Amino acid sequence: MLKFLLKRILAAIPVLLLVILITFLLIRIAPGGPFDRERQASPEVIENLNKRYNLDDPVYVQFFNYLGNLVQGDFGPSFKYPNRSVTEIISNGIPITAELGLYALMVAIGIGVVSGVIAALRPNTAQDYIPMSMSMIGICLPAFVLGPILVLIFGIYLGWLPVSGWGYQAYDKVLPSLTLGAAYAAYMARLTRGGMLEVLSQDYIRTAIAKGLPKWKVVLHHALRGGLAPVITFAGPAAAGLLSGSFVVESIFQIPGMGQFYLQAAFNRDYTMILGTTIFFASLIVIFNLLADVLLVWLNPRLRHSTLKN
Amino acid sequence: MQELEQGRSLWDDALSRLRKNKLAMISLCYLVVLIIVALITPWIAPYSYEAQDLILGATPPSSEHWLGTDSLGRDQLTRVLYGSRISLAVGFTATSVALLIGVLWGTVAGFLGGRVDAFMMRVVDILYALPFAIFIILLTVVFGRSLILLFLAIGAVEWLTMARIIRGQVLTLRHQEFVEAAVSMGLNRWQIIRRHLIPNALGPIIVYTTLTIPSVILLESFLSFLGLGIQPPQSSWGSLISSGVETMEEYPWLLIYPGLALSITLFSLNFLGDGLRDALDPRVSKD
Repeated sequence: MLKFLLKRILAAIPVLLLVILITFLLIRIAPGGPFDRERQASPEVIENLNKRYNLDDPVYVQFFNYLGNLVQGDFGPSFKYPNRSVTEIISNGIPITAELGLYALMVAIGIGVVSGVIAALRPNTAQDYIPMSMSMIGICLPAFVLGPILVLIFGIYLGWLPVSGWGYQAYDKVLPSLTLGAAYAAYMARLTRGGMLEVLSQDYIRTAIAKGLPKWKVVLHHALRGGLAPVITFAGPAAAGLLSGSFVVESIFQIPGMGQFYLQAAFNRDYTMILGTTIFFASLIVIFNLLADVLLVWLNPRLRHSTLKN
Repeated sequence: MQELEQGRSLWDDALSRLRKNKLAMISLCYLVVLIIVALITPWIAPYSYEAQDLILGATPPSSEHWLGTDSLGRDQLTRVLYGSRISLAVGFTATSVALLIGVLWGTVAGFLGGRVDAFMMRVVDILYALPFAIFIILLTVVFGRSLILLFLAIGAVEWLTMARIIRGQVLTLRHQEFVEAAVSMGLNRWQIIRRHLIPNALGPIIVYTTLTIPSVILLESFLSFLGLGIQPPQSSWGSLISSGVETMEEYPWLLIYPGLALSITLFSLNFLGDGLRDALDPRVSKD
């Protein structure tokens, strides 16, 4: 297990380095310098600015300097807000985005797994069709349509829930979390159903039922463990999707999280900020995929054996 | 007995299976109508695309304006129709880009095998690990917000699944007798890929093309919604939804109709894709 873990971590490092390199170079070839203002600055000012941000070094020197700072958790200064560092801006935004993502993931797993199991218990009956058609709707309604519709119904017409904000009023976290989690709940429901159907037809399940165990115990103890494998494989990409999906949800509900900062950086062409946040998101996603892989191997001993062999 | 001698090709089989799938057929009809309407929009649109009527302002759906008008008095039906042109154009163009890269990459990797295959698939794995939405936003920042680049950028990130699927197909095909026969008859690699491997992998290619289009349309709408895609006065469904959201309290119809158009189209493409998968590859069941 330890060997496998080590191998996966080592494999993740070149991926991260590549992401950093690509992003860094892309930003460098972008048109327009970071200090372009409406009023043309004098050459001396630009030179000073370039010196301050070390932009007069060769590109590879800049890259290694940046990498060196990155290892120490320093993303450099923001071009747009010279008094704030990118690290500071990220650490302000990330708790909010993380909280939103966590709630959304809970919505996704909670609703998704439960309705998937319910559907799998009686396949091809109403108990199967109803949750599955709901999930098809969930997959096809993008967050930027679903969110406003939920706001319109629950926020404006019924007036049950606040229409925007994050932590300002009671229950204002409900709609954003639902909006973000819905599509993933739908995917998870389908995956759970598929996984459970496969497991429920296995011999060991029949054995467990033949032994006279109550059905709920068979489902919860024996089937769920194997049936959740596809769900866990999906959880890594889902976490990634939740992060980038939070862009839309944050902009609909005016939540001051990472997504808002990233979009602002994109509009302002704040290159260090874009660079920093892209790398940050990419590392998170690589880490989530890694966690999903490890969890999968831990849950399935057969997989553990085969991955260790080669 | 006469009928039996006719014989049925695999395609006939697939077609009859698809015909039995009502949802897929309804979706197909809707998509055909949508494409035709989008193509002839400039001739059938009831109003001019940019014609403003500031005195009229925003009105709810009526007999003159079936889907109402926006706050500048522009006819919403006309705008949704023109939006469908952009959304579909992005969908088809970017999917073609993805198709081209994915099929070539997958066939070459699967056919050459060995180290080349390992390397090429490693590249795909690495790209899979990247945050795409974020990367596309990065690309729009770097290269500006032009429509062509949007097509290319979306196409360039959507080819990965295609490449994986095609590679898998080619791997199973390439050791079959008919490929060996082709080799023994002196066909070169490119001829084998073009005449034997790609045609035989056509089923999965069709299925995943159909399933790629909705995700491309979704991605474009996502970008336009955030203000990074289509720029005004042009509009796609995403940008219509985005401006509908701003005024949804007063004029909900400006949000609902473009949202409906987008959702129904995504529905149909997904249903058709699922139907095609069931029809072309009966071994693979749903999910």
